[in-house]
Amino acid sequence: MLVFIVRRVIISFFILLAATFVMYLLTANSGNPLGDLQESRAPNREALIEARIRLLNLDTPAPLRYFIWLKGAAGCLVPFALECDLGQSIQGQDVSALLGVAFTQTLQLVVAATVLAMILGITVGIVTALRQYSGLDYTVTFSAFLFFSLPIFWVAVLLKEYGAIRFNDWLADPTVPITVAVVLGAISALFWMIVIAGDRNRRITTFVAAFVASAGALWLLSETQWFADPGLGVVVIAVTAVGLAFLTTAVVAGFTYRNVLYSALASAAVGIVCHFALGPVLDDPSSLTILLLALVTVGVGVGIGYALGGLQRRQAIQAAVFTGLGTGALLFLDRLLGAWDSYSDRVNGRVIATIGARTPNFEGTFWEEGLDRATHLVLPTIAIVLISFATYTRYTRSSMLEVLNQDYVRTARSKGLAERGVIVKHAFRNAMIPITTLMAFDFAGVLSGAVITENVFGWTGLGRLFTDSLRAVDPNPVMGFFLIAGTAAVVFNMLADIAYAFLDPRIRLS
Amino acid sequence: MSNPTTPDPGPVPAADAATDAQGMTVVARTQAQMVRRRFFRHRAAMGGLIALVLIVLLAFSSIGFASVPGWWDKDYFSIATVENGGRPTLSVVPTWLGGSGMHLGEHPFGQDNVGKDYFALTMRGVQQSLTIAFIVGLVGTVIGTLIGATAGYFRGRIEAVLMRFTDVMITIPLLVVAAVLGRRYGDSGIVVLGLVIGLVTWTGLARLVRGEFLSLREKEFVEAARAAGTSARRIIVKHMLPNIVGVIIVAATLAIAAAILLEAALSFLGFGVQDPDTSLGKLISTYQTAFSTRPWLFWFPGVFIIAIALSVNFIGDGLRDAFDPRQNRVRD
Amino acid sequence: MTNPSMPIGAPLPGPAAGGGLDQPAVTESAAEVHVATKLEETAGPGEKEVLRVEDLTVSFPTDDGLVRAVRGVSYAVHEREVLGIVGESGSGKSVSSMAVMGLLPKSARIAGKILYRGDDLLKKSAKQQRALRGKKIAMIFQDPMTALNPVYSIGDQLAEAVLSHEIMPRKKALARAEEMLALVGIPQPNRRLDNYPHEFSGGMRQRAMIAMAVINNPDVIIADEPTTALDVTVQAQILETLVQVKDQVNAAIVLITHDLGVVAGMAHRVLVMYAGKPVEIAETDRVFYQPRMPYTAGLLGSIPSLEGNGAGSRLRPIVGTPPSLINMPTGCPFSPRCPLATGICREVEPPLAPTDELGHVAACHHWDKLAEVDDPTVFFRTESEAV
Ligand SMILES: Nc1ncnc2c1ncn2[C@@H]1O[C@H](COP(=O)(O)OP(=O)(O)OP(=O)(O)O)[C@@H](O)[C@H]1O
Ligand code: SF4
Ligand SMILES: [Mg+2]
Repeated sequence: MLVFIVRRVIISFFILLAATFVMYLLTANSGNPLGDLQESRAPNREALIEARIRLLNLDTPAPLRYFIWLKGAAGCLVPFALECDLGQSIQGQDVSALLGVAFTQTLQLVVAATVLAMILGITVGIVTALRQYSGLDYTVTFSAFLFFSLPIFWVAVLLKEYGAIRFNDWLADPTVPITVAVVLGAISALFWMIVIAGDRNRRITTFVAAFVASAGALWLLSETQWFADPGLGVVVIAVTAVGLAFLTTAVVAGFTYRNVLYSALASAAVGIVCHFALGPVLDDPSSLTILLLALVTVGVGVGIGYALGGLQRRQAIQAAVFTGLGTGALLFLDRLLGAWDSYSDRVNGRVIATIGARTPNFEGTFWEEGLDRATHLVLPTIAIVLISFATYTRYTRSSMLEVLNQDYVRTARSKGLAERGVIVKHAFRNAMIPITTLMAFDFAGVLSGAVITENVFGWTGLGRLFTDSLRAVDPNPVMGFFLIAGTAAVVFNMLADIAYAFLDPRIRLS
Repeated sequence: MSNPTTPDPGPVPAADAATDAQGMTVVARTQAQMVRRRFFRHRAAMGGLIALVLIVLLAFSSIGFASVPGWWDKDYFSIATVENGGRPTLSVVPTWLGGSGMHLGEHPFGQDNVGKDYFALTMRGVQQSLTIAFIVGLVGTVIGTLIGATAGYFRGRIEAVLMRFTDVMITIPLLVVAAVLGRRYGDSGIVVLGLVIGLVTWTGLARLVRGEFLSLREKEFVEAARAAGTSARRIIVKHMLPNIVGVIIVAATLAIAAAILLEAALSFLGFGVQDPDTSLGKLISTYQTAFSTRPWLFWFPGVFIIAIALSVNFIGDGLRDAFDPRQNRVRD
Repeated sequence: MTNPSMPIGAPLPGPAAGGGLDQPAVTESAAEVHVATKLEETAGPGEKEVLRVEDLTVSFPTDDGLVRAVRGVSYAVHEREVLGIVGESGSGKSVSSMAVMGLLPKSARIAGKILYRGDDLLKKSAKQQRALRGKKIAMIFQDPMTALNPVYSIGDQLAEAVLSHEIMPRKKALARAEEMLALVGIPQPNRRLDNYPHEFSGGMRQRAMIAMAVINNPDVIIADEPTTALDVTVQAQILETLVQVKDQVNAAIVLITHDLGVVAGMAHRVLVMYAGKPVEIAETDRVFYQPRMPYTAGLLGSIPSLEGNGAGSRLRPIVGTPPSLINMPTGCPFSPRCPLATGICREVEPPLAPTDELGHVAACHHWDKLAEVDDPTVFFRTESEAV
């Protein structure tokens, strides 16, 4: 295994090297870097041209210039010993510094969105595979096709208009007219009817129940002016946390042996108690506090699972930890929404942002700043999720169907294993093997995916740096971007191979 | 499940006919018939096919192409006075429903800010986008097949070189390399643009074809042909390629769908089709800021992109099911 | 050992006496399958009936019409009894046993009764069915290469069979798994527990499958062509293991095969299926020497060298193919291929009816014609051989 990894690393390194060479030549030929100067009327035109030629070594032919670039870039391999020199931009800025700033922005943008898309896509993919040829399956299939036929920039423009501009207008007087409540209620009812399915009676009951619940909730929220100052409240948190406990138990262990459920419930209960106990600590915490609390949550979860787990200790620990983290996330969300009112005042009611990663010069409490980031992230995240979500559902669905058809799934059923175990342990585990590759590819391509999103939403991340520099025929930042994107591609492809070997013992042990 | 003794094996498709050693050609024909039948039964794919044909007919017949004139009396470059704020005159609600009747009017999709007929512009955009996507799909497929087939058939050093080269190209994100190429060749016309983008979109298919070839070359009929001294080119073209034609066709279709979106993205970023020509992506890019005031400038090209991409994707899905019906066998 | 004759619905035969099976040359000649532990050396069937299937029908709605895969199967098995089910590919053997296991796809339409110790499984809830599956009724599948999950160790997969029915510490379940691996003759079982399926040979995997089937001391083991995918020498060992294990856990075995040779040394009774229906049920040696249904005779004729003499040395497959399960023709389903067919055969489907011996039933209008000749396979000889 070690030999395998080392060999893989060496090969990847050379592939990346070759790729940078190809890319360098292409970039060098993408346009005339002196174009703007040659057309300019500046009196010192010649001198400017001369300066840029020297700055970018334009008098050296491109293939040789590559090696000059490579020499500087080689310094980046050894982080502290050598200087990392990726050249300078046309404006004379240091590329490595430019990249550093842009990189953090891009990471914020894509990581959460990609992870969310994976989780949602894989979940929906599994559900549709288990309910092949149901109404749900057809709906999801059609939506998936629609989503990956959507140009992301087109969606982004729509999102900005309806998700931000008009939504913010509406927030000025957040009431839901009764007709809108009825229409939205009907849509939600339709949704639940398709999801839950069943015979005719069950469908009708679902429809009516969901309609009354959603339309009623909307009306109630509107009447109580909830949208002006949203929050979850302890009742909603408690109910959701208990629901979460049941859900995690259902997935990791099932209900035949109660101890797992008890651990999960205990974990949820501890979380809710903390809601009250931790009041002052959480008024304006630092990120470190939050991180520590998350770690403590995991620790407590493990403890609870260990103590209450009985014969299914492992499952109990899993259930307790996941429930604990979920409850923690709910509390976090509640606090974040708590800052809504003051935040809204400070940004003049334009809560959902359309441009950039943060409100310029905005400073406030941890929660206000957090909400500021969140409201900037919402729209780009939705845009990214919509589109990669589709790929994941399709891929997971077909992988799952393929696996469900295998003999060993039948064997698992013939042992009398409960359906939960058949699906989670046997089918899902095997279906994940090809999906891992897709995930790695997706992460590898995530940076280039950011190119469009950043342009539409005005984020000054790597993608924006790339397009701006390319437009100005500024080769070094373009190469800098590619170095990161290419490294990510190579590294994640490598991780895919390793993960593959790890998940599949037939490869691991040979 | 295979059931060679039963003439009518019920639900088990006759794909298993391949196991009946009845000679290659007979099997191939029944295979082709099965594929066609399954494709025509695939409702989404048929819908996609019909929609795509209609869009192509509309785009090329309305404003004409090359020097062939079309039936629409306006072109996409003449500037005119903007009437009625450039609002679309298209009406689809019949009078008996309280609408203004079904008619196209003077400017069915409205006019842009200098008064160009937006219907003609959109149709031009459809033509350009389709042309580029088709060229990209074709070039990418041909190169991918060639490289994959050569690597998979010859193995050894040739394979190593070709596949390492593929690895290198795969490392460069498609949008990135396409943008760099588009920056350089965007103003050389759509054919050149299509060709250069096609030159970098073959990597996935090359891997796929190589994989198929690796398993095919172990099959008896290939070994037999080789033993009989048949030339490598002949074995590849006559014996092996026909066996993976399904894989290739499906990949080509999906590549075209992806190319539509890629071209749109490039033009949106400004690295695709350049002035004075246009494409669907460029139209959206140009008018995205006009969305709140003149939304039709944004909706029409967008709807056409989606309609084309969706149709092609559905066709691809139908083809996949038709060539590889394995998944449809589970019925519970 | 007693031989209780327990008529079932139609006069089904009781199980054969344990020692009553003398088998002249049959096992040896029927391919190379040679079971060292002869059936008669093992404990004979008991009196208690464990599984009884009554008039089971299964059909699948498909695009092309209703596939009637099983059209009325009835049988019963007793403790320690081995019932062979024989039939061509597609005759409904697997579908009928999957129905017993409750493993058919949801689209399947199932009717009839499946009685486990008197309780109808089809009337039980999914949960109750699951509790019996793998615990009281276990199954072994045809292809051991694909039947085990490649990503879990053998020990894991065996332990899971225990843990599915009883919550206990994993260690205990693994210990039980080790015991079972030893029982089915896998050397160094404790080391083998950590192996993955791909580290086992085909024969060893099938042994592991047998271990998995018996790990919960089931009452019935359904073995669906357990040796078809293995090579001949291994086949014999696997069958031997199966018979031995049966006695250890006092289980009944339903042994499904398309190879009469396998059944010869292995089963007390044989049920022959054709086009979704049983066409003959009798004690094993009756089936071999006095078949009362031309289809069975045809099958015997296609076993290599049954008698080991003269013309029998050539394979004589039954010409033609079984009927479509979607549009079943009227009359006897075997009539298009039957050398004895007459007018009535094409009009009236013969019911399963008693023949010249108690407990031997066959579905044929002309079973008496078979009784008139010494070697019933003679009807399937080609002209040239008959000369
Ligand atoms: N899920 C299904 N849907 C439709 N038809 C099915 C399904 N499962 C089985 N069949 C059909 O039922 C018939 C009986 O199949 P079965 O698997 O029981 O045959 P078998 O006797 O076990 O044959 P073999 O010796 O090949 O295993 C076959 O014609 C098969 O095509
Ligand atoms: S009933 Fe007639 S056709 Fe059927 S097996 Fe008997 S003799 Fe043959
Ligand atoms: Mg079978």
